[in-house]
Amino acid sequence: MAVTEHTGTRVKTRVPALSLRNVEKAFGQVTALSCVNLDAQVGEIHFVVGDNGAGKSTTLKILAGMHTADAGEISLNGTPVHFADASDAKAQGIAVVHQNLALVECLDVATNMSLGAIPKRGFMLDRKAMEREAEAVLSDLKVRVGSVRTQIGLLSGGERQIVAIARAVRMNLPIILLDEPTAALGVRETAHVGEILQELRRKGKTVICISHDLDFVFKLADKVTVMRLGKSVATLTADQARHDLVVGLITGSIDAAQIEKRSHD
Amino acid sequence: MTDQPVSVNSAAKKTRFTLEMFLRPELTLIIVIVAIAIATSFVNPNFLNIGNLTDIGRAAVIYFVMACGASLLMIGGGLDFSVGAVFTLGAITTTMLLQAGVPWPIAIVVGVFVGGVAGYLNSQIIQKLHVPSIIATLGSFYIFTGLTIQVTGGQDILPLPRAFQVLGQGAIFGIPYVVLYAAVVGAAFWFVLEHTPFGVEVRAVGGNREAAQANGIKVERVERIIYILGGATAAFAGIIYAARVGSGQVAAGGSAVTLTVITAVLIGGVSLQGGLGTITGIAVGAVLLSEIDNALIVASIPPQYNTIIVGVILIAAVAVDHIRRQRLYRVKR
Repeated sequence: MAVTEHTGTRVKTRVPALSLRNVEKAFGQVTALSCVNLDAQVGEIHFVVGDNGAGKSTTLKILAGMHTADAGEISLNGTPVHFADASDAKAQGIAVVHQNLALVECLDVATNMSLGAIPKRGFMLDRKAMEREAEAVLSDLKVRVGSVRTQIGLLSGGERQIVAIARAVRMNLPIILLDEPTAALGVRETAHVGEILQELRRKGKTVICISHDLDFVFKLADKVTVMRLGKSVATLTADQARHDLVVGLITGSIDAAQIEKRSHD
Repeated sequence: MTDQPVSVNSAAKKTRFTLEMFLRPELTLIIVIVAIAIATSFVNPNFLNIGNLTDIGRAAVIYFVMACGASLLMIGGGLDFSVGAVFTLGAITTTMLLQAGVPWPIAIVVGVFVGGVAGYLNSQIIQKLHVPSIIATLGSFYIFTGLTIQVTGGQDILPLPRAFQVLGQGAIFGIPYVVLYAAVVGAAFWFVLEHTPFGVEVRAVGGNREAAQANGIKVERVERIIYILGGATAAFAGIIYAARVGSGQVAAGGSAVTLTVITAVLIGGVSLQGGLGTITGIAVGAVLLSEIDNALIVASIPPQYNTIIVGVILIAAVAVDHIRRQRLYRVKR
């Protein structure tokens, strides 16, 4: 299901910023992913939806360098890549907001936001720069978490979520992956995260987001890839992605082949 | 209506202040140290003599040097039960080299290096064989202990060159050299922990290993380094001790040293769960242990009370740590 853009009569194919081809992954006897294809463009918010156990998080962890795919290919801007570990994926331009947030409770907000890319002055820790950067990113995102010296352990679930997102934004990398970024959030904070994603899109980032919150998905998505039982069953554009269709694909009551038929009708 | 929130606020502030005091491990310990000093000086005023206080400092030094390495390790989420054996291993290596005519600077460097290698082996047992740290280092404790006995035939190593002994026994302006070594080691570990990116990584690994890994920190590398440093400081402490007593003693280290060091680290406010702890806390913890040792002798209290008191303080310290953590990790509603 290659992404093609129809401009008049000419068909222009863009090279995706990130692309997965026939990715497979098994954990021992359990097959987590049997065939995952995904193309995400620059300046696009691309949602990945699916039921629990569909393989969304496994896909994201492969992209984050935390798991290695057993088969298939990952490409960035058309070049096949391999991630040795999380720091390697980051070095190749991928920032991640994990579902479990990956924050260290006993460290403060500024330190957590700099983990993996700690500001240095010579060989010394540059705490001032660390705090300044954290404050700048948080105020850019219009986030208020009190002091950046507050320990993460003292923050609420929603505040932690926002800090985790702010950390990924601080990296300022071309691709940003988010796993359930609104799971712990209220209505107002969810809308705020939506604004942050739109701002990232405006800046030309490639945003790939896993979410269960379909209202959130429909409001922001440029593309929606539906996963089911370890496979990517369909990728829909914003126009195609209607509620009943997406739910049908998630639950399996609509077969992906039917969409092809529908779109031809 | 307008007055009420203000008064509530200031009351909350007051409780918060006393709590902070209680929650800062160094402050609590300093209060305990002063209380013991006052109580003991009533029984025997000699306790507060400069000479006696220097003795307390001198005895605290050996524990402190080891505790620096052990605390970095435990802040990073590790645990090393083999330090007591590595202490002996370092001392035996250096003193045997000295007896073979090797100049003391080289002998010391090699002794510390052997300690580092021991730490590296521990980290490999843990990472490659997936043996939990407590078991891995308990096993290596026995292995290293056996090795030192095998190599020495169970005999202490002496006499040692005068130049080497001076390193452990000399003083400058009344300050024992050993106190200066401890100050240098303490300052170095404090600097690494508080002012380098590596220190932040150690806390991150200890505080939440998976989060550290997900953020691209090379967790296994950090762990290797802290085990190596833990082994090196244990060996260095053993070497200082050998210089101080003038012989490489086969029975000097062992489980007693291991337990005392881990106790000093825990009393000093390092959490067994990792992430939390400071070098100043360790220093105060080592001084407290050494003060209790000394106070009981000065006040002519039978030695079994020493172990009872240390046990009580250890349990109290870890209980306080739990409260501290609960407050730190509480999710605000």
